Amino acid sequence: MRRPRPARVRPDLHPRRALALGAVLVLAAGPVALAPARSAADSAAPAAAAPPAGDRGTQLYLEHCASCHGERGQGAQRGPSLIGVGPASVDFQVSTGRMPVSREVQQAPRRDPVFSAADISALVDHVSSFGGGGPKVPQVAPGNPGSGREIFAANCAPCHGATGAGAALTDGWVAPPLYDSTAVQVAEAVRVGPGLMPVFPNQVLDDRQLDDLAAYVQRLRDERLDRGGNPLGRLGPLAEGLVAWLAALGLLVAAARWLGRRAAE
Amino acid sequence: MITDRLARALDDRLRLSPLTRRALAKIFPDHWSFMLGELALYSFVALLLTGVYLTFFFDASNGDRVYRGDYAPLDGATTSAAYASTVRLSWDVRAGLLIRQTHHWAALVFVAAIVLHLARIFFTGAFRKPRELNWLIGVTMLTLALANGFTGYSLPDDLLSGVGLRILTSVVESIPLVGAWLAALALGGEFPSDAMIPRMFVAHVLLVPAVLVALISLHLGILVRQKHSQFPGPGRTEHNVVGSRLWPSYALRSLALFAWVLAVLFALGGLVQINPVWLYGPFEPAEATSPAQPDWYVAWGDGALRLFPPWEFRIAGHLVPGPLFPGVVLGGVTFLALYAWPFAERLRAKDRSAHHLLDRPRDHPVRLGVGVGALTFYAVLTVAAGDDIIARLVRVPVYDLLSLFRVLVLVLPLLAGLLAFLVARALRRGDAAGIGELTRADLRRAAHRSIRPPGADSGESETPARDRSGERIEMWPEGDLWRWRYRDADRHLVITGSRAVLSEEEAASAARVAYPGVDRVVVPGPPPAPPPGPVRAALRGWGRAAAAGSLLLAALLNRRRDRRRQERERAEPAAPPETADKASTGGGRT
Repeated sequence: MRRPRPARVRPDLHPRRALALGAVLVLAAGPVALAPARSAADSAAPAAAAPPAGDRGTQLYLEHCASCHGERGQGAQRGPSLIGVGPASVDFQVSTGRMPVSREVQQAPRRDPVFSAADISALVDHVSSFGGGGPKVPQVAPGNPGSGREIFAANCAPCHGATGAGAALTDGWVAPPLYDSTAVQVAEAVRVGPGLMPVFPNQVLDDRQLDDLAAYVQRLRDERLDRGGNPLGRLGPLAEGLVAWLAALGLLVAAARWLGRRAAE
Repeated sequence: MITDRLARALDDRLRLSPLTRRALAKIFPDHWSFMLGELALYSFVALLLTGVYLTFFFDASNGDRVYRGDYAPLDGATTSAAYASTVRLSWDVRAGLLIRQTHHWAALVFVAAIVLHLARIFFTGAFRKPRELNWLIGVTMLTLALANGFTGYSLPDDLLSGVGLRILTSVVESIPLVGAWLAALALGGEFPSDAMIPRMFVAHVLLVPAVLVALISLHLGILVRQKHSQFPGPGRTEHNVVGSRLWPSYALRSLALFAWVLAVLFALGGLVQINPVWLYGPFEPAEATSPAQPDWYVAWGDGALRLFPPWEFRIAGHLVPGPLFPGVVLGGVTFLALYAWPFAERLRAKDRSAHHLLDRPRDHPVRLGVGVGALTFYAVLTVAAGDDIIARLVRVPVYDLLSLFRVLVLVLPLLAGLLAFLVARALRRGDAAGIGELTRADLRRAAHRSIRPPGADSGESETPARDRSGERIEMWPEGDLWRWRYRDADRHLVITGSRAVLSEEEAASAARVAYPGVDRVVVPGPPPAPPPGPVRAALRGWGRAAAAGSLLLAALLNRRRDRRRQERERAEPAAPPETADKASTGGGRT
């Protein structure tokens, strides 16, 4: 009864996921085209290289971001500076729907992205024009989930849980569930370290390891891993105990009552 | 036929029939709450059945083993043999995952059924003399069930259970002076020791189950030896049992419950995932996972560890570590209190008499209040063990929840216990039939101390001293024997005595013991049997029709055969009479 080895295909290409995928493709191609030009321009005159105000990215930035992060990304009372955060950070925050937020929050929850893939890449370009370098959007290649599992257990499981279901951190922070993240978003989070998450630069996890890790996290959200039936949110023994009491014991006590009532007739 | 002869042969050699007859005639009360213990028993049977299958494939060793199988992320990884064989059981062994999950669900339901059974025994006072011994055995079985649950949870050597085992080891090590020695003795060395899995395996599949089987036998043996307890009611006294006989009615009902237990457990095992160890990964001392909880029945200990403030102090230079109080002291006090309760209650009430009639929970407000308070306390601790899960789901800072639970664990049990006490008193004093009918006046009256209407403490008397207008005992001769029955015309209740006796006087005295103060009359002949139910009537009708039909068919066939034989005889008139005789006998045999 060997099941066919599950291939690495995403089971359902939701329109939004398709959007995100499109964003990934655009982003994967974008930096390659931009890289030589930017290295040539260097960071000597970033303001000069900024696109004109009629640009889509500039327009979106001014509409949605500038009120908190400042017109040139210098930061303000309500939002941190964006200079030097890097394209990976901007892409992560916007493509997971965490930015823009309508009010100040400690930790923005994951939502559907507000912008289209093209808009996101325009925004990323605009913010990186503020200068300061920072991690690029990583290019994720297919990896080996086996070694990815070991990296995950050693580095990610303490906060996100071995099942990737997420867990509470200190001070009201939360390590979110990983089931909605794309491979690129996982890689971005690893390189950027959003929120309380530590940064894992290239010296700690090289690109091969990052590919393996992203492959394992993609694997983790696969429903075929819940081979035993309903996973109960992968919340662990207490959820199972609740089911044992409410479903199993409830049914059995009802059965005993029924049998007892029939006997008394 | 064969079973009959086998039974006869066995009886000739072992003289089983007196024993069997007595056992089969044992009366069990019909109330459903008496079946809660059976739920635990049948879960245990399911545990044994599924556990045997698991031992065929489980490799109880800490040694290295390379997993090769269908679960790709672990394919080719070197883990402990225990973990690798558990993943193999879950992904590569036929029906392995179903049996493994059913085993785990059965363990959860087993302990839950024990707790329910314990609550029933406690609140109805079924632990009183002469049943203290069975109470002690039952509490011992609860501790063994917890121990075996924990070892079973730890055996797969996955990351989650390894974290739990680490915590338990630390709790044992927190005992001053002897803790570290005890832990080293149990594990055969420092914490992640090589002897850990084999030792837990032997305890899990051999030692504890053997003791459990012995104690269950003793538990049931004492139950059979003693009369079954029962709730008070019409016709029920300290000296009789009203209910169904073991054979056939109660045995069938019990088997039906067994089928229910198996059905529910296997349905859960097939449909709801439990303990996905392949996702958790193998245990490595340097790794951890979060959120980490134990199975529900030890979660109260985990919750206590989370809630208890980190107090540490030194006595004569010896550190008394923080986990000692919530870990060791609380567990010890819990089980000591359970063991001691029947004796404490007997001392307090100065009640040395035997009780076969149960209390209703309301009859004993103090006991009810203490029990409800204790259950609330452990329930809050169990919920507190999941504080990190709750914090993530409702997005509340985990330390705020912790403070909230610290208050709740002290306040809520007191409130719940007090409320239960008041409701019980109000129910006992007033004339409301249930909680729904209680009025505010009832509750207000319950809050006062000394009002005691007459008849408030009538729970101890043998029979409710109500008017007995419709009740009577009917006795009648049946051949050489006498039988009797109790009849309550108002309640349409008829209870027939289970034993026939030799004389009218014996029947009268038996009825007097069971129903003192009820009039006895001799009635002519056996009273008519109750009208059969629709199914039985239909079955009986069909049976009669089938019997009549087959008789008719047999008669027709016979006639045809006779006619043929006569024709044959007519056709061969020369045949001698002996051969004709032979033919007829031969025909009769076919």
